[in-house]
Amino acid sequence: MSGPIHLDRRSFLQAALAGSAGLALGLSALSCRESEPSEPALGPQRIPAPPEYGDWRDVYRERWQWDKVVRSSHWVNCWYQAHCAWNVYVKDGLVWREEQSADYPQIRPDVPDFNPRGCQKGACFSERMYDPARIRHPLKRAGERGSGKWKRISWEQALSEIAESMVTTIDEEGSDRIIWDQGPGISMGAQTAGNARLSVLLDSTSLDMNTEIGDGHRGVGETFGKILFERSADDYFFSDMIVCWGSNPYYTQIPNAHFLTEARYNGAQIVCITPDFNASSVHADLWVPVKPGGDAALGLAICQVLIEEDMIDREFIAEQTDLPFLVREDTGLFLRDSDLHEGGDEDELYFHDAQRGAVKAPRRTLELGDLRPELEADTEITLHDGKRVRVRTVFSRLKDLIAAYTPEEASSLCGTPPPMIRELAQRFGRAKAACMVTSSNFGKAYHGNLTERTQALVYALTGNYGKKGSGFVGFPFLTHDGIEKFILESFAFPIRTVISAMGKFEETRLRLAGFTDEMILYEQSRNAFAMGMRTSGALFWYIHGGLIEASEKLQEWDPYLDRPIKEVLEESLEKNWQYIWPKPGNDPRVMFSLVSNPLRRIRGYPLILEHLWPKLRTMVTIDWRMTSTGLWSDYVLPAAAWYERTEHKWVTPLMPFIHAGEKATSFEEAKSDWEIMSRLAEAVDKEAAARGIKSFKDRTGNERPLEGLYDAFSSGGEYGHGDDDKVAGALIERASNLEGVEWEELKKKGWARFTSLGNTIGSIGTAADITPDDTITPLTHHVNDKQPYPTLSRRIQFYLDQELYVEMGEQLPVHKEPPTAGGDYPLILTGGHTRWSIHSAWRDDKLMLQLQRGEPAMWMSVEDAEPRGISDGDRAKVFNDLDSFEILVKVAPAVRPGEVIIYHAWDNFQFKDQKGFQNLIASPLNPVELAGGQFHLRPMDISMQPSHTDRDTRVDVALA
Amino acid sequence: MTKSDRQLAMVLDLNKCIGCHTCSIACKRLWTRDEGMEYMWWNTVNTQPGRGTPRDWQEMGGGFRDGQALPGKLPTRGEFGDAWKFNHEEVFYGGKGEKAHLKPQGKDPHWGPNWDEDQGGGEYPNAYYFYLPRICNHCTHPACLEACPRKAIEKRQQDGIVVINEDRCRGYRFCMEACPYKKIYFNHAEKVSQKCIFCFPRIEQGVANACARQCPGRVRFVGYRDDQAAPIYKLVDKWKVALPLHPDYGTEPNVFYVPPIAPPSFDENGDLDPSKPRIPDEYLVSLFGPEVLEVLEVLKAEMAKKREGAESELMDLLIAYKWKEMFGGFDRDPATIEWTGS
Repeated sequence: MSGPIHLDRRSFLQAALAGSAGLALGLSALSCRESEPSEPALGPQRIPAPPEYGDWRDVYRERWQWDKVVRSSHWVNCWYQAHCAWNVYVKDGLVWREEQSADYPQIRPDVPDFNPRGCQKGACFSERMYDPARIRHPLKRAGERGSGKWKRISWEQALSEIAESMVTTIDEEGSDRIIWDQGPGISMGAQTAGNARLSVLLDSTSLDMNTEIGDGHRGVGETFGKILFERSADDYFFSDMIVCWGSNPYYTQIPNAHFLTEARYNGAQIVCITPDFNASSVHADLWVPVKPGGDAALGLAICQVLIEEDMIDREFIAEQTDLPFLVREDTGLFLRDSDLHEGGDEDELYFHDAQRGAVKAPRRTLELGDLRPELEADTEITLHDGKRVRVRTVFSRLKDLIAAYTPEEASSLCGTPPPMIRELAQRFGRAKAACMVTSSNFGKAYHGNLTERTQALVYALTGNYGKKGSGFVGFPFLTHDGIEKFILESFAFPIRTVISAMGKFEETRLRLAGFTDEMILYEQSRNAFAMGMRTSGALFWYIHGGLIEASEKLQEWDPYLDRPIKEVLEESLEKNWQYIWPKPGNDPRVMFSLVSNPLRRIRGYPLILEHLWPKLRTMVTIDWRMTSTGLWSDYVLPAAAWYERTEHKWVTPLMPFIHAGEKATSFEEAKSDWEIMSRLAEAVDKEAAARGIKSFKDRTGNERPLEGLYDAFSSGGEYGHGDDDKVAGALIERASNLEGVEWEELKKKGWARFTSLGNTIGSIGTAADITPDDTITPLTHHVNDKQPYPTLSRRIQFYLDQELYVEMGEQLPVHKEPPTAGGDYPLILTGGHTRWSIHSAWRDDKLMLQLQRGEPAMWMSVEDAEPRGISDGDRAKVFNDLDSFEILVKVAPAVRPGEVIIYHAWDNFQFKDQKGFQNLIASPLNPVELAGGQFHLRPMDISMQPSHTDRDTRVDVALA
Repeated sequence: MTKSDRQLAMVLDLNKCIGCHTCSIACKRLWTRDEGMEYMWWNTVNTQPGRGTPRDWQEMGGGFRDGQALPGKLPTRGEFGDAWKFNHEEVFYGGKGEKAHLKPQGKDPHWGPNWDEDQGGGEYPNAYYFYLPRICNHCTHPACLEACPRKAIEKRQQDGIVVINEDRCRGYRFCMEACPYKKIYFNHAEKVSQKCIFCFPRIEQGVANACARQCPGRVRFVGYRDDQAAPIYKLVDKWKVALPLHPDYGTEPNVFYVPPIAPPSFDENGDLDPSKPRIPDEYLVSLFGPEVLEVLEVLKAEMAKKREGAESELMDLLIAYKWKEMFGGFDRDPATIEWTGS
């Protein structure tokens, strides 16, 4: 029952919609509870303003005064740190400053509250929004692309010219060649609603950037069948061992940080495992140095010690993981029902029971009843064709593998001293509730999936899942589930009804096949993803952007790769393991950067300028500030900044409160994202009408209406150009996981606690209840309620037998030496998210720059700087086979020799000759990321797509 | 010497400070945004060890020894780090394409308020650092006050906040020389000296200081020294785990620090080496005086209690289960204020 499911047009629409934001068909009757009322706030107090000038003190008193206060936040993807409730103080019609509202309720009396969430970036947005980077008017290019020559044009002219280009593309070449590059501005509120409606109605292509940017958590997806699960930040308080492995939460989770320092005071030990002594290690109880790219070896060595010293939780492993499953010795593949019975199911797998022998592993529950799967079995079995084969358990194979990873052996691979590996393993073994601080670091390394699989294994062997304060975690995401209904409503009534009916039919079919709620949602998402309205951003840039050219020498860099990566890519597309839209050869024509900045973001971006840019008829940037991409666009349209629109936004389980706010002020000609999409829909409608074009062929060849586009977009005029507030409210009304939350109240209050995870792929993976009076511990539905995991084996799965994993020898997690991406140079260039910006949004902010060195900087160890004659503050040239750039050097004993670090998201225009530091990042494509076909390895929204990587980049450095 | 009736104080827990500078920005956006104040950071956070803000301030003298005022150096604008101006317009709209890039205008900068961020000391893998946020210490024995020939500096009777009367100040800058913490700036536009005012307009309305109330790390406790029910008294006087910075400077600061506990160092074999603390004892002693070593023992002992599941009043205080309780009664939400007649 694995393999692609063929859909007709109607079910495609249904699936596309469901997949775009989840399925909202009342799948599960999750409990609805009322959210706890917050402490009653003090009523407003009227205080007379100080006299205009009594003495010098009144100057200060007068400064701390305002006309009004408006609730708001920063509607940007701060991800782990999202979100914070802010009060925006308005004076003389301008935002004067902001301060956290800091009025979250305490969830439990024995756990610290969430106040006062915020950070230095949020605290100076009032300065940022009026600085010279702000876009004031629509701009049209007046010279060559990238020339910095502009003319100011009207909104009307800009939208009608862009619409003209879109209609030409739709009519002559196909609407799938219109590309939406969605950036960190995705709110799942009014902003997203507008873009989603227009994009769906036009059957255009949106780039799924999650795996592209390296947040794909592929190893998590390979192991759990999902990547999105996380605890609430206050759940750290129940942990006795908190591990920051490859993460730097004191840079990247500023508002959550106090839960870690306070958990430490509450008795938890904090362990940091990183190459450099980073800002989070400063407050650790144990810091473990590791070589960049050595983490999997370290993880396997920990497993080796745990097994050797028998510090493993056998009961947990037998029930929750595939470690007792049987694997054929002759093929290295799982023993399947189809091996034992003719016509048997390929997805039914076996374990070995002491009494019963080989037994089909239950798939609808993890409950074992009286079954006793053996962790170690070595036996012979007769296949349906009479052949006798030897089978052994995954655990037995794992034991063979890790024999090579004793601390002494592994130390040479991971750089961690053997006594420290033992110490670490024993701490894991002794911990009552060990947890992991989430990080998106390893998705940015070529072999990062192997690291994540290994980390998951350490926690599984020690049974550290499902208990309060425990658990390795994936990627955090929590959103309302009202948006897909809102998108569906833009379709004409009869189609809408058919879509709903088809959805229910499909749901029933899957439910009968034993699918859980989350498996049904993922199935819908996978089917939709195959149809292409959302496509892999990574593959888009590799194929249409020419980035694959940089992987040309990959066989020289990756000693484990035996054939050209292009050949693997072709095989993958041919076998429908992965998908790409538009199809290769169908050049993209119109591209929109929606607060996304791809020329800053894409590793190896000069290739994109060379290969993709000439194909684009029209390049549009919609943003509130000028970006590297804006500078290379044909049109730059001014979007409203965060305090200038009414909105609500997704969060993560770390902070399980939806955040909302109201428009505080207006700015020049800036318009909200909803209004821009609305006016664009109207302009396209008008242009099509003027040309007499009533319909167009969508990507499946079916005729679709273009006439009446704006009518559909606006639901017959229900949602007009300026109706952000109404749209935002409509989404909340349609949500199932914000029980009892009223929009009118929410937007004034600024936050509301989620009442359940809801029915969307974005949230359901956390697999836990949300209650008003307790912290959230992920995966409890699996660990406590015995719900199967959405993997092939229905367990936490450590063995993968898809063809590419077999070819690359990655059935089990192993250590592999990182490729020498960019050539054989002595230093590894790594990075991480910065303390000073959310993506590039604050990178050129003068206050943030003032608290750094005023320009991009690269960190270097004392040992590497000295022999090169480089001192702190010098400018150096960084180079490899691809390119070079210049940058200021910071020399620090905290940096590991052999590594240089450049933190995230400097804009290209901050470097000499505008040569941004990603110009020499090759981003080699890892063959196993092209896998698909098998149940949970098939791509879907947000996960199991190929990614871009940068952490393996080799360089050398010389004085400039 | 002026003695106030009561004394407001602040305790900063360095085990909770993550160096994010939300305090610096909160202060900057509220008080030092006008012309002449661009380069001022009344609140700074520096990585220790490091040269700090202003550069090498610990070598600039000032303060008292045995009750005698010591000579001090006047820190320059360059030593504080000047406010950089950037060329956004040229890069975005100047028509120069890739020939222009964004950078501080004029001469290349040589110092700034956070110049040696995350560099620290020691040798890899036993490198070490921590964050030290600083404001004016609102000293009980303020060197600045004594140095001012204009008597423009006042220690407020009601709460001990030290303020510069800008109507009286003539910009002689003796205070800047005298302050051993170098927390006074000169406003070159207004020709007066300016510094942290402990957010007195907020304090007067029952609202905690911006640096404290906006601190996401929940590092800062605020309140009266003598309020025995509040955390300041318990941390400074009862548990004695909060120490002034450089007690040797003789000014009796009213800002106190809970000292940092770093992870253990390790020897050449990779074995943990408890005999050599990652942050050398002598370095902490040089900052906080000899008591710091006892304080670290108290903190570690109380942490161990919690680890074993026992109760600890001290740990519970530092955890601050209810954020508002960190502010000794100065816990009003400023958004509840409506100004009338402004």
